[in-house]
Amino acid sequence: MTTANASRYPAEYSNSVPLLCGQSLSWLKQQRTNALLQFSEQGFPALHEEEWRYTNVSAIEKKLFSPKVNKTTGFVDVEWLKSYQLEDAWSVVLVDGHFSAELSSLEGLPNDVLVKGMADALEEIPEVLERFINQAVSVDEHSFIAFNTAWFTDGLFVHLSNKQVLERPIQVLHIATQQDVLSATRTVIILDKLTEASIIETYVGYDNAYLSSAVTEVFVGKNADLTLYKMQCESEKAYHFGGVYVKQDCHARFRHHNFAFGALLARSDIHTDLDHASECELNGLYLGVKRQHIDNHTRINHTKSHGISRELYKGVLDGRARGVFQGRVIVAKDAQKTDSQMNNRNLLLSNEAEADSKPQLEIYADDVKCGHGVTVGQLDEKSIFYLQSRCVDEETARNILTFAFANEMVDKVRIKVLHEMILDQALLRFPQEGVNKEWL
Amino acid sequence: MSASAQEVNNLINQEYKQGFVTELETNTFPPGLDESVIHKLSKIKNEPEFMLEYRLKAFRHWQTMKSPKWAFVDFEPIDYQSISYYSAPKRKEDGPKSLDEIDPQVLEAYKKLGIPLDEQERLAGVAVDAVFDSVSVATTFKGKLKDVGVIFCPISEALREHPELVKQYLGSVVPHTDNYFAALNAAVFTDGSFVYIPKGVRCPMELSTYFRINAANTGQFERTLIIADEGSHVSYLEGCTAPMRDENQLHAAVVELVAMKDAVIKYSTVQNWYPGDKNGLGGIYNFVTKRADCRGDNSKVSWTQVETGSAITWKYPSCVLTGDNAVGEFYSVALTNNYQQADTGTKMIHIGKNTRSTIVSKGISAGKAQNTYRGLVKVLKSAENARNYTQCDSLLVGDKCGAHTFPYIEVKQPSAQVEHEATTSKISEDQLFFCQQRGLSAEDAVSMIVNGFCKEVFKELPMEFAVEAQALLGLSLEGSVG
Repeated sequence: MTTANASRYPAEYSNSVPLLCGQSLSWLKQQRTNALLQFSEQGFPALHEEEWRYTNVSAIEKKLFSPKVNKTTGFVDVEWLKSYQLEDAWSVVLVDGHFSAELSSLEGLPNDVLVKGMADALEEIPEVLERFINQAVSVDEHSFIAFNTAWFTDGLFVHLSNKQVLERPIQVLHIATQQDVLSATRTVIILDKLTEASIIETYVGYDNAYLSSAVTEVFVGKNADLTLYKMQCESEKAYHFGGVYVKQDCHARFRHHNFAFGALLARSDIHTDLDHASECELNGLYLGVKRQHIDNHTRINHTKSHGISRELYKGVLDGRARGVFQGRVIVAKDAQKTDSQMNNRNLLLSNEAEADSKPQLEIYADDVKCGHGVTVGQLDEKSIFYLQSRCVDEETARNILTFAFANEMVDKVRIKVLHEMILDQALLRFPQEGVNKEWL
Repeated sequence: MSASAQEVNNLINQEYKQGFVTELETNTFPPGLDESVIHKLSKIKNEPEFMLEYRLKAFRHWQTMKSPKWAFVDFEPIDYQSISYYSAPKRKEDGPKSLDEIDPQVLEAYKKLGIPLDEQERLAGVAVDAVFDSVSVATTFKGKLKDVGVIFCPISEALREHPELVKQYLGSVVPHTDNYFAALNAAVFTDGSFVYIPKGVRCPMELSTYFRINAANTGQFERTLIIADEGSHVSYLEGCTAPMRDENQLHAAVVELVAMKDAVIKYSTVQNWYPGDKNGLGGIYNFVTKRADCRGDNSKVSWTQVETGSAITWKYPSCVLTGDNAVGEFYSVALTNNYQQADTGTKMIHIGKNTRSTIVSKGISAGKAQNTYRGLVKVLKSAENARNYTQCDSLLVGDKCGAHTFPYIEVKQPSAQVEHEATTSKISEDQLFFCQQRGLSAEDAVSMIVNGFCKEVFKELPMEFAVEAQALLGLSLEGSVG
């Protein structure tokens, strides 16, 4: 359904269209035109759409964020940026939706790994991108995809070939520096067969209201192995839409760790299609405070037999925050012997917080093992009593238990420096009275 | 499990045995729906003025609505103008005073269904209201119930004799604006049961309604209203069947339950509408709105349903837990075979303090059927210490069917504890092997395992119903076992 203001974005952006990257490529131009047409008709997703029933994005329509098409980078506080940059990792920085070669450091990257800004890649290797852009996700999925397809300004292209096993992770830093800016990026990650990599997507920004729309398409080849981390620490006034859409070839392994900490309104999509005997693991932790709204939407699509999927999302909600989990596992008719488990656990800390959960199983094959579980509750009184009986005061006991609850997800991070950083970010957001980081 | 292999074979070879048609003279409206049909309906039922107004209000609202699309079911759009909205066996002016006045054909039909309306023959302890197409044809044990103050009668009679009660409660749980089918029902409902249990009375016998669709091209729109006043207790059963026909028929009922302080209502359904044939031809569309309002403190409502029939089942018996310490329960077995589709589940809305709800749902899908559990658990801010436990298990028999679980959980109260668990599996080779190794045939073993799977729900049913439900399960699995 079209909202009253749905047409504001296409009109506002019409001047910038010729300046977008890849406009000389007819196939991309066609895709962008189609997407624009679709977005103009539909506007942003509305509450009556089943996949959006808990998330109201009308504020994005009201705000009217402006596009930034020129590549000139504004001032970036390098010290501030450093605090988010991981040591011992290749680093790629995108500022307000544009790849910044100056801030990125890719020295010593092996020859079999190609990392490029999307705009550059579209000029140099358009024939490769033609085969991948909008292949893991369709603009019909929902209108944020159409929105992103129509107006992405840049992004990143990563390609691992020749059985390359990357020893250090690649960190992709998306930073937003300007007020009311739209940063729209498209990232394509391709892992050829037998390659392995860890990639960390980090979203941070100055204390402004802005919209970041990041769509990542991932292709994991036969027997390849990808661990993708997402650390979303946007400013607390910001709006974030991030989608990760994955196609796994047979025996491919994909792990996703989603840490949703920031933004006023954040929505993440993680959708993956599994082939024969592929495995996926989706982990997530969302911490909501103040008036935050954090929506995580996952879909695991078992299309062939012998796939394995594991999913665990945990939420801690305080203040007036609202956490949403929507997970769907689909087991197609041919996906016999599928083994799937999905869990969602929520901890409500205040009277004003809200948790909404919608885990779904859609199963068309009979020889499968599928289950899901959800809990919403508060801290176990007995555990608090136990700690009190050991001379820990109640407040500290509560803090310890809350952190222990969240820490299960942080502990799954295998990169030590990232583990530290995520822990720090988590601690920033909750009362730390009596909690010692060293214990965790 | 008492059924031997022979009995199971008999069951498997049986067709839908309630599929006969009773030939009788009927008084049927021509197909079509407009305000004049509602005027005529209201007049034929001799209803008070407020009822006609209510119907017209609902009808006008219904016209502004669109048929919902969100359910996981697939069917051709229904042409509401091709349905007849009233069909009743011809009878004398005032309705039957005693059994002698009922058309013997109708009596025969109920006899065939195993529901004798003769009080002497009936199992002691169950009072029956028999609804045939659009009207209630007989209600048994009315006198005996009246002695303790219980009102048990067709709702059309209640409208004439207790209009104040009906006016107070009708539409108070399911308003006419609630949903598409509820609005349609409010406009054109023809009959149904009305139960009022006065303060502090424990209803001395089980009450039950038996719905039968007989006439072709009609829709059945019945309305049930049960009010349990303070401290009362009632157990109510509902059964339904229809003839085998190639065209689909619509059944859109509304059930409203009101439980006051300390009252207990137990509502059990064995739904066995004609499910269509092996190729998915024909069958009833069962689009039902059932809702209970636990208005008073410490009230309790328990829904138990065994859903084996209908081409499409679309219903969500719900509990609105308004009173403090109110309890809502939902036990369900939904079995789909051949081309049947079921999208069923419950809603538990926690409003009062310390409210508790339990949901146990067992879905069995066989043949090419699609079976969906869809349930909402909502805890509002006022529902301190609310507690919910949900368990949904699905069993797949065969590799062409689907089983889906779509729970919705919305919690706004930190002291609430909500748990949801779901599993989907097939009958394991190990279990089958174990049974066969002990000398059971494959059919016996499957029947036993399926019954075991549903046991948690069956034990909630009154005894006679539990037996019927077990037999139905064997019957409905026909052709998919072994």
